[in-house]
Amino acid sequence: MGKTGFVFDKRYLEHVTFNGHPESHYRLIAILDGLKQNGLLEKLIPIGPEPANQRWIEATHNIHYIMRFEEACIAGFPDFEHQDNSICRETYDVALLAVGGVLKAIDSMMAGDVDNAFCAVRPPGHHAEQDRALGFCYFNNVAIGARYLQQNYGIKRVGIIDFDVHHGNGTQKIFEDDDSVFYYSIHEHPSFAFPGTGREFEKGTGAGETYTLNTPILPGRGDMDYRKKLTTDMIPAFKNFQPEVMLLSAGFDGHSADLMSEINLSTEGYKFISRTILNLVNKYCEGRVVSVLEGGYNLDVLPGLVADHIRALLENQAI
Amino acid sequence: MFVSETMATDLITVRPDTTLKEAKGLMQEKNIRHLPVVDEVGKLLGIVTDRDMRDAQPSSLLDEETYARTYERVMEHRVEEIMSKEPLTISGFYTLQDTLLVMGKKKVGALPVINEDGMLEGIMSTRDLLRAFVNIMGIGEPGTLLCILVQERPGQMKKIVDIITEENVSLGSVMVAKYWDKEKRAVFPYVMTQNVIRIKEKLQAEGFELFDPMSWYLDQLPQKK
Repeated sequence: MGKTGFVFDKRYLEHVTFNGHPESHYRLIAILDGLKQNGLLEKLIPIGPEPANQRWIEATHNIHYIMRFEEACIAGFPDFEHQDNSICRETYDVALLAVGGVLKAIDSMMAGDVDNAFCAVRPPGHHAEQDRALGFCYFNNVAIGARYLQQNYGIKRVGIIDFDVHHGNGTQKIFEDDDSVFYYSIHEHPSFAFPGTGREFEKGTGAGETYTLNTPILPGRGDMDYRKKLTTDMIPAFKNFQPEVMLLSAGFDGHSADLMSEINLSTEGYKFISRTILNLVNKYCEGRVVSVLEGGYNLDVLPGLVADHIRALLENQAI
Repeated sequence: MFVSETMATDLITVRPDTTLKEAKGLMQEKNIRHLPVVDEVGKLLGIVTDRDMRDAQPSSLLDEETYARTYERVMEHRVEEIMSKEPLTISGFYTLQDTLLVMGKKKVGALPVINEDGMLEGIMSTRDLLRAFVNIMGIGEPGTLLCILVQERPGQMKKIVDIITEENVSLGSVMVAKYWDKEKRAVFPYVMTQNVIRIKEKLQAEGFELFDPMSWYLDQLPQKK
C-alpha cells in the first residue's frame, strides 16, 4: 500500500449552484460518504488546502478575467458569463481554494510526503480558458497546477491526461502552442457532446504542434473503444513525450448511468482507465501523479467510481 | 441567410489586359483560385480560374528547355484571352440555400456576385459558404447535440422547443433528418449548454425517444442486395 494524499475541505461545499444544477455540492458529499463507508478514507493522507496565491492564478488566467469573476461573485450575480456557470457569493473563494488544493497536493508529492494524490475539489476546471468561464468551470485547476510544477519546481515536461467525457477545451487552449505540456484527452465525439471541440485534427499550434492529442469516441460506445484507443493513441504519445510528472483531469461522467453523455463506460472500464494511466505514470514519471476531479454527475455511481480510482492510486507500486 | 451578408467583399480583381504571369502571381500570393475580370468602372467582364491557367500552360511533359521557352511566351498573353466570358453569376439577394444548390448543380467553386448593372459586388466561394454553414449550425460555439426521434405528426417540434425553453437554454440550430422508419423523423437540436440532463429527462418524460446516433448510422448503411 502506497501513500496517497487526499485533498478535501468542507468549504468546497460552499460553492452552491442553482437548485437542480448537476454540478452540485452533493457530488462531494456523496464521494466523502462513500470513502467513509468503504473504509478508504482512513487509509488516505489528508491534505488541507489553502487559497491559492493569486500569482499562480495569473500565470494562467487573464487578470481582467479574474477581477470580473470576483466582482460577479461579490455582486451576487446568479451566474457568470453563461447560465451554465451558476455562482454564489462564495464561489470565487471556493475556486481559489480548489486551485490551492491542487497546488498543496503537488507540494506534498514533490516533498515526498505522498506518492500521489487525489483532489476532491470543486468547482471543476478543464473548460475554463485564459479569459473565459465555461461548462461549470472558472479557474483551470489542472492547467494552473502544470504551470506551478514548471515555475515552482523546475519540471520541464508535464503530461496531462483528461478522461472526463467532455473535451477540456480550456486546458487544450492554454497549452496549444506549448511544447512543454502534452495534453491528451479522450472524450465523447464533439459533434454530439459539449463543448464541440477536441476533434482528431486538433493537434496543437506553432511550437506546440503535435503536443496535443484528442481521441473522440462515438456516442453509444464504451469500454472496447476506450481500451483500443488508450493503447493506440495515449501510450505512444507519452512514450514519445516522456513526461516527468502527470496530472489527471478525472471525470466520471462517461459511465453508462450518467445522463450527461451517451458514452457507455462500465465500472470495469473505469478501472481499466485508471490502471492503464498508472502503468504509464510508473514507467515515465516515477509514479508521480496528481488526479483532480472534474465531472461525474450521477450520484449513485460517482462515489464508487471515485473510490475505485483512489484504490488504484493507493495500490499503485511505482518502481 | 442572404449572399450579400456572407460574400467576400475584399475583392482581388484583374483587368482584361493583365498578363497571365501577373494573374498567376496574384493567385499564388493571395491563395485564391478565382479572379474576376472587371473593366475600369468595376463591371464584371469574366472570370479566370486556376483551371483556366493550367489549361493555358504548356504540358509538363515537354523537355525543360522547350517548356521554359513556351511558358515565357504563354505567360505574356492577356487574361481576356482565356477567361470565361459569360460566367455564372448570382445576386446579393440570393439565399445561402440558392447558392448551395446552384454550386452543387453547376459544379463551380466560386460565384461572382453582381448588381442589376452588372457591377461586381463580391464573390462567394465554397469556402465562404462553408463558413456560413458553420455559423448556421452554431457549431463554432460550445454546445451539445441532442438526438431525438419523433413521430411524424404536427406539434412535436413545439414540445421539444418548449422543454428547451423551460430550461432557459439557447438554441444554436435544429436539424431534421429523414429516418428509415417513414413514420418518424430524427431531430437534432444543438443546445448552447453543457447542462443537458434535465432537458433529456423531460424529453423522455414527454415520451420522446433519445436515440443512439450510431444505431441510426448503422441502419442507414447501404444493405447488400
